[in-house]
Amino acid sequence: MLRIGDLSRSFREGERVHRVLDHANAAIAAGEVVAIIGRSGSGKSTLLNLISGIDRPDGGTIEFDGRVISALAEPERTLFRRTHVGFVYQLFNLLPTLDVEENVRLVLELNGIHGAAARARSRAALAEVGLAERAHSAVDVLSGGEQQRVAIARALVHEPTLLLADEPTGNLDEDSARDIVPLLRSLAQRRAAALLIVTHDPGLARSADRVLELLDGRLHASAAHEARS
Amino acid sequence: MPLAAAAVLRHLLRHPAQLVLALVGLALGVATIAAVDMATASAARAFELSIDAVNGAATHEIVAGPAGIDERWYVALRRARLPIDFAPLVEGYAAIGDRSMQLVGIDPFASPAFDGGAAAPGARAGATELPELSRWLTHSGTVMMAAATAAELHLHAGDSFALEVSGRTQSAEFLAPLGVARPGDAALILTDIAQAQEWLRLTGRLSRIDLRVPAGADGARALARLQNELPAGAEVQAVGSRTRENLDLAATFTVNLQAMSLLALLVGFFLIYSAVSFAVVQRRAIIGVLRALGVTRGEVLATLALEAALIGTVGAALGLLLGVLIGHALVGLVAGTINDLYFVVAVSRVTLPASAVLKSLAAGIGVALIAACIPALEAAGSHPQLGLKRSVLEARATGASRWLLLTSALFASGALAIVCGSTRSLFAGFVALFLLLLAVAALAPAALRAGARAAAHLITGASPIVRLALNDIATSLSRTGVAIAALSLAVCAMIGVSLMVDSFRESLHDWLGRTLRADFYVTAPGPGFARPERRIEKDVVAALLATPGIIAHTESRRVRVESPAFGPVSLDALALAPGSYAGFQLIAGDPADVWGAYERGALVISEPLAWRLKLGVGERLTLTTARGPHAFEIAGVYREYGNDRGTALLTRAVYAAWWQDDALTALGLYLAPQARPAQVMARLNAAAAGRQALMIRSNADVRELSMSIFERTFVITRVLYWLTAGVAALSLVSALVAWELERARELALLRSLGVTPRGIALLIEAQTLFIGVVAWLTALPAGLLTALMLIDVVNRRAFGWQIDLHVHAQAFAAAAAIALSAALVAGLYPAWRSSGAPLAQAIREE
Repeated sequence: MLRIGDLSRSFREGERVHRVLDHANAAIAAGEVVAIIGRSGSGKSTLLNLISGIDRPDGGTIEFDGRVISALAEPERTLFRRTHVGFVYQLFNLLPTLDVEENVRLVLELNGIHGAAARARSRAALAEVGLAERAHSAVDVLSGGEQQRVAIARALVHEPTLLLADEPTGNLDEDSARDIVPLLRSLAQRRAAALLIVTHDPGLARSADRVLELLDGRLHASAAHEARS
Repeated sequence: MPLAAAAVLRHLLRHPAQLVLALVGLALGVATIAAVDMATASAARAFELSIDAVNGAATHEIVAGPAGIDERWYVALRRARLPIDFAPLVEGYAAIGDRSMQLVGIDPFASPAFDGGAAAPGARAGATELPELSRWLTHSGTVMMAAATAAELHLHAGDSFALEVSGRTQSAEFLAPLGVARPGDAALILTDIAQAQEWLRLTGRLSRIDLRVPAGADGARALARLQNELPAGAEVQAVGSRTRENLDLAATFTVNLQAMSLLALLVGFFLIYSAVSFAVVQRRAIIGVLRALGVTRGEVLATLALEAALIGTVGAALGLLLGVLIGHALVGLVAGTINDLYFVVAVSRVTLPASAVLKSLAAGIGVALIAACIPALEAAGSHPQLGLKRSVLEARATGASRWLLLTSALFASGALAIVCGSTRSLFAGFVALFLLLLAVAALAPAALRAGARAAAHLITGASPIVRLALNDIATSLSRTGVAIAALSLAVCAMIGVSLMVDSFRESLHDWLGRTLRADFYVTAPGPGFARPERRIEKDVVAALLATPGIIAHTESRRVRVESPAFGPVSLDALALAPGSYAGFQLIAGDPADVWGAYERGALVISEPLAWRLKLGVGERLTLTTARGPHAFEIAGVYREYGNDRGTALLTRAVYAAWWQDDALTALGLYLAPQARPAQVMARLNAAAAGRQALMIRSNADVRELSMSIFERTFVITRVLYWLTAGVAALSLVSALVAWELERARELALLRSLGVTPRGIALLIEAQTLFIGVVAWLTALPAGLLTALMLIDVVNRRAFGWQIDLHVHAQAFAAAAAIALSAALVAGLYPAWRSSGAPLAQAIREE
C-alpha cells in the first residue's frame, strides 16, 4: 500500500547541509500499525511530512496504492492529502475559530460532503470518540485529552486509508495518553487504514504491529521490538 | 460560508480592535478622496447649473470681448431672418448684502422662444402673470429670483432692497419668484435687459446672444450664414465650451487636491497592510492546519482575498460616509478658493457624483486587496509545516528589508528618470513624487534596523534592558518595519509640503514687495476676477486723481479676452506710472528693449502664461479683439504669482484701441513725499463718497490681503496634511499593538524577573520614540527632496511659476514634533496594556 524507496531529504542550516533522510526504505501494508521511533531531530516528522505530501523529497519515491506521490505537483499532493490522509498532531492543531463539530465537519466539506450528511457523519465520528455531547463547545475549553479525541475524529471522519500520528500522546497526561492509543488503533483498524505513529513513548511503540527506527537517515526494523516479538 | 473560509475569517471577529484599526485606516484614506471629489464636483456642478440656468435651451452663443456686443447688431441680426432663435443677454455680478449673485438681464419677448421645457429664464419670466409682466416692463428696478433665495433673504413680492453693483448701490424691487425652480437658480437675479444694462453700465451693449440652432443640415447652413454676418470681435461658440473653459481654469487646483487625497490613501495602504499582514501572521497556524488538512493554496488565497474585499468594501463604505461629512466642511474652502482665484460660484447643494462613489469604492477595495496580496501570497505559498517560527518570519523580514533597500534605490532612480525624461507632464511629475515617497517608505525598515543595531552597539556597557529594547526593534522588522515605513512617508510628505508652502509664501512675499509699488490701490468692488462690470466711474477717477497729495498713478483694466488658439487669457491693460516699471521682474527679454516694445503695442506676458501657452519672447499671441483677431508680439516674460493661469500685459491705450473699452478696473496711487497717508486716505474716501463705494487700500493692506488669500488657499492642503498624519499615527498604533501582542510573553518574562509595570511602560514608550526619531531622521533628507520635487516639478508643471526654495528649521522641528508625538501617543495604549496584563496568564498563554 505505502512504499518508500530511497527517500532522501536535506536541509540547509547556514553553510551546513543537514541530511535528515538518506535513502530510507520501507513498505507498510493496509491496516498495519507501524511505530516510527528515533532520536530528536532524526527526521521522524520530516518523514510524515513527505508521506503526506506536505513536503517534497530531494530524491527517492513515495508510492501509495501504486501512485507515486512524490512526483505529484503541489496542488495534486494537496488533493491526495485531503482525500487519503488523516493527521493527528502532538499539539492537536484544532482550529480555535471553529467549534468542535465544525472542526470535524471541515474535512468532509473539503471532500465535497455538505449539509445534513456531513453533520450526521461528523456527529457519528464525535460519538465514536465519546464527545457527542461537546459538539458545539469551543475547542479551547476542552481538556488536552478531549482535544486530541476531536483531532482523532477529524482525522478519521472522511475514512482515509492512511492515518499519520505525530507524537499523539506527547502533550497528554498519562491517563489521557493511555486512553488515546487504543482508541486510535481501534478506529484505524475498523476502517482498515494503515496507521503510522511517530513516537518517543516506548509503551506506545510496543503496541504497534511493527516498529521502525530512524537512524542516520535510514529506516531500520527496531531490534528491541523484534526481540520482544 | 465554507468552514475552511469561516475558520480563517472568524479570526478578525475575535479580534475586533485589529479589525477596527484596519477599517479606520481605510475609511480615513477613502474619506479624503471622497471629500475632495465631492467638494470639487459640487463647486463644478454649481457652476454648470448656474450657466445652465441662464442658457436654458440654447445650443450656441455669440460672445465678444469685455466691451460686449453692440445691440444694434442684434437688431440687424433679427432682421436677417435666419432660421435661428435669438435671445440677447446682459450679465454680470451683483451683491445683496454679503451674498454674491449673478445678475442676468433678458428680453422677456425674445427669451420665451427658448422655452426649453419652460425652464429657460425667459420662459420663466414670461410665464409670470400679465400684471407682473406689465410691472416688469414699466417699473424701474424690478427683479425675479428663486423662491428659496427670496425666502433666505426675507424678501416678499413687492419688497424693495439694496443691490450693489460694482460699488454702486441700486434700488431693486422683488417682483415675484421664478415660476419653475431649478437647481442653478440659487444665485440668480433676473431683470429686464435694459435695467441690467443700466446697472452694469453697459448701455447699448449686450454680454452675449443665446442662439437655438435647429439640428441637421438646415441648422449647419444657418450657422454658416451667421458666421459670415458676425461683426469683428464676435464669435459663435457651442454652449458648454465656455463652461468647460471656465472649469478648466480650476483644473490644476483640483488635480493638486486629488493628489493630496491620494497621499492619505497611500499612507492608509500601509495601515491596511500592517493590519492585514499581522492578521495573516497571527493565523499562520490556522492556515498551516488547513493546508495540512488538504486546503489548496488557491483556496487559502481566495479566502484571504475575500476577507480583504470584505474589509475593503466595509472600510470604503464607512469612508464614503465620513467623506460626505468632511466634504461638507471642505466644499466651503474649495468654493472660497475658486472664488478667490478663478470664477464666481455659489454652492447651494453638495453633491457626491456616482463616479466619485465608484472611484472611492474601487480605491478602498483595491487598496485592501493590494495590501492583503503580499501577506496572503506569502501565507498561501509557504510550506504547510505547522507553527512557522517567529525567527523564520523575522529572518524573512530582515531579508525583505535588504530587498527593499534595492527597491528604494530603484524607485528613487525611477523618480529621477521620470523627472529628467519628461519636461511638462504634471501626471509624470506626480508619478515621480509618489515614487520618491515610496522610496522613502522602502528605505525606512532597513534604516530602523541599522539605527537600532548601531545604537545597541554604541551602548554596549549600558543596561541590558536598554540593549534588549534596541535589539527587539532590530529583530522585529515584521511588525516595526511597516509602521516606520508609514510614519516616514507621512513625515517626509509633511516636511516637503511645509517647505513648499513656506518657500511659496516667502517668494510671494518678496514678489508682492517688489510688485506693489504704489501707496494706495483703488478697485471697484464685486465678485469675480477680471469681470468687465468691475469698473471705476470716470468722474470718480477724476476726483481721485485730483486729490491733493497724489503725484502719480497707474491705471489698470483687468479683463479676460479670448484667444482663438488658447481660450480665455487674462489681460491687464496698464498705463504705468514711471516708478511702476521696476516692479516687474523680467525673466526673459532684454530689459532695455522690452518696455519700448510694450509701449509700441507688444505684450509682456507672465511666467505662468508663457509656460501654459508654450510661448516665448519674439513669438506672437493671437487675441480676439473688437476689430477681429490680432497677433500681438511678445516682448518679454515677467515673474508672477498672482494668477496661476498667467496674465498678459498691454498698454491701456493699445487695449482701448483694439477692444474699444476705456473703462478702468483699478488705480495705483503714488503719494507725494511730504503727503501724510492717513490724511490722503481720508481725502480719497471723501472724493468717492456718494458716487461709488470703492475699495481703497494701502500698500500694506493689499499685501496683507494677498497673503491672507494665500493662507486660505493652503487651508485645504493643511486639512489633508493632518488627515495624512492621523492615518500614519493609526498605522503606528496598529503595528505597535500587533508587536506588543506578539511579545506579550517576553514582556511578562521581564516582569517576572522584577521589571515593574512602569518600567515596562517606559520600555515600550522608549522603543516607540526611537522609531519616531528614526522615521524623522529618514524623512529629513527625503523631505527636502520632496520639497524640491513639489517646487521644481509639480508646481512648475502645474502653474508654470518658479519658486525659490527657502529652508526653515521650523519645518523640520514641526515634523519632529509630529513624528515624536505620533510615536508617543501610539505607544500609550500598548504600554498601558502590557504593564497591566496579568503576569501569570501572559506567561501561561504562550
